[in-house]
Amino acid sequence: MATLNIKSLGKTYPGGVTAVSDVNADIADGEFIVLVGPSGCGKSTILRMIAGLEGITTGDLQIGERRVNDLEPGERDIAMVFQNYALYPHMSVRGNMEYGLKNEGLPKDQIATRIAEAARTLRLEEYLDRKPAQLSGGQRQRVAMGRAIVRDPKVFLFDEPLSNLDAKLRTQLRAELKALHQRLGATFIYVTHDQVEAMSLADRIIIMNAGRVEQIGTPMDLYLRPASRFVADFIGSPAMNVVEGTVTEDRRGLLVDGSRDIRFAGEIPASAGAKVAMGIRPEHLSLDATGAAQFHLEVDFVEQLGADTVVHGKVSGTSVPLAVRLSGVQQHASGEVLELGCGADQLHLFDLSSGQRLN
Amino acid sequence: MQKRVVFRSRLLPYLLVLPQIAITVAFFFWPSYQALESSFFIEDAFGFSREWVWLENYYELFRDPGYLKSFRTTLVFGFSVAFLAMAISLILAVAANRVIKAATGYRTLLIWPYAVAPALAGVIWYFLMNPSLGIVAYWLKGIGVEWNHYVNGDQALLLVVVAAAWKQVSYNFLFFLAGLQSIPKSLIEAAAIDRAGPMRRFWSITFPLLTPTTFFLLVVNLVYAFFDTFALIHATTEGGPADATSILVFRVYNTGFIGQDYGSSAAQSVILMGMVILMTFIQFRYVERKVQY
Repeated sequence: MATLNIKSLGKTYPGGVTAVSDVNADIADGEFIVLVGPSGCGKSTILRMIAGLEGITTGDLQIGERRVNDLEPGERDIAMVFQNYALYPHMSVRGNMEYGLKNEGLPKDQIATRIAEAARTLRLEEYLDRKPAQLSGGQRQRVAMGRAIVRDPKVFLFDEPLSNLDAKLRTQLRAELKALHQRLGATFIYVTHDQVEAMSLADRIIIMNAGRVEQIGTPMDLYLRPASRFVADFIGSPAMNVVEGTVTEDRRGLLVDGSRDIRFAGEIPASAGAKVAMGIRPEHLSLDATGAAQFHLEVDFVEQLGADTVVHGKVSGTSVPLAVRLSGVQQHASGEVLELGCGADQLHLFDLSSGQRLN
Repeated sequence: MQKRVVFRSRLLPYLLVLPQIAITVAFFFWPSYQALESSFFIEDAFGFSREWVWLENYYELFRDPGYLKSFRTTLVFGFSVAFLAMAISLILAVAANRVIKAATGYRTLLIWPYAVAPALAGVIWYFLMNPSLGIVAYWLKGIGVEWNHYVNGDQALLLVVVAAAWKQVSYNFLFFLAGLQSIPKSLIEAAAIDRAGPMRRFWSITFPLLTPTTFFLLVVNLVYAFFDTFALIHATTEGGPADATSILVFRVYNTGFIGQDYGSSAAQSVILMGMVILMTFIQFRYVERKVQY
């Protein structure tokens, strides 16, 4: 158990490609941190730098009180669960879990105690003498976790550990992982490209794009107040509606495709003529036309989900697509025009060129 | 799932394999049969008469201390060549696997010796080691080793072992490199996180995972050393001095073509054939079985 301090961390490969630049994060003891982002955003590179599998080009990395930049992976007091599990195929489940402990030179009886304990926690007792090839995907995943747990490290690193499993098993293991984190109380750093996984697991999320950190915050911070258009797009399902347009002269409306349908209750924090992107989550729109933003939707089709109804259409008078999530069962015919509004907190404005948040 | 191609014509598949079958029959089955037949006869040196002697040729062989010694020499030679060739190629493959970027050129250079004919490989080493004009022999003299494989049997054996192994290193290298590259990198990384140093990682993870490759190469190298090194020995030591490098294949030639004892030579060939069959069986039973298509 330890804190982790990342100071202006960067990675440039010998060929000149910069995978990660200027990452800063202070991770508290026992925190569950999820690194999330699209593929190629550098999240795995950061994890591998923390593990010591990739060299650090710039910046500092501290685990606890120690600067670990130049330490070997084995000396950093971390354990890692790999995406493909990386179980030693020629060793039994017990052999896989013992390997690291034997290398540490732990006495035999202690090794046995730790393995018995981990096997009980992960329900692996009856599989201890099997080879990895004889196990199912979920069981292999648990062995990989067991190998990490027995080491009793300060920091656990997970590299997309659930991505090779089917959806049902993934949901189940997600819950087990969360429970495991609570029981161990250790610092977890978890990489995934799945925003649902990130939202459900994390204490705090570090969301990355093109080698840079877009935002660090709790799942609700990211959901309610995305710092950039990228974050707004990435977090939430169905995805946030984004309407691009030009701020009107009175700064109380948005000119979209020549239509002046979108009106705001007050002046918006952007100069007249500025190009902006307006974001509103489908679940934050309501059929009440008195909110901070008001406009009309031409219905194209309706998705009935039972608990919710998702209405897909276009902003009136334009070809900009928009979706609204209404609770309960609602009937709307194609071609119908709905009056829509949203609360002031639920309206997000981003600069069109930089993508940064304006309000 | 196996994919099968089905021919419409019944004749075509037979026609397609006919050339291979013709070659096999003419150059393998027919001589093998002749060897088997001759091994039951004693024939005079000029081929005018021969006498059916049942297994006399075989009894004779196993009563001959020279032949039994040749068996022992063959085993020592074979395992030494296999061990040396595999050890060197494994070291080279591990080194090449680390620097995979410049490896193409490196690999090409390492493959070259495989293209050298066995007799030439032997001659290269023969000249290097020649007691009167060889550069290596000269160096050895410099460090106080009196090298003369014309009189020293052990040195002669060492010479042919080195020459034979050198030629086989390239082949082994290719297989070891392919084997190493098929080991997922994450396994080695996991071991590094599990506090294993480079040597421990190699012996506890990499080497065990190479076992199928190692076993395959062991069989191939033994077959090579036992049966394919005739030209090399013929060009360098000619089995000498005092039969010190006279391995079984060389003895077949010596008995038959120099000694003109065709019956005994044929019997020796049949024994060698039995060994090849045995080793092929081992290879198919334990190596090929693991291959999935």
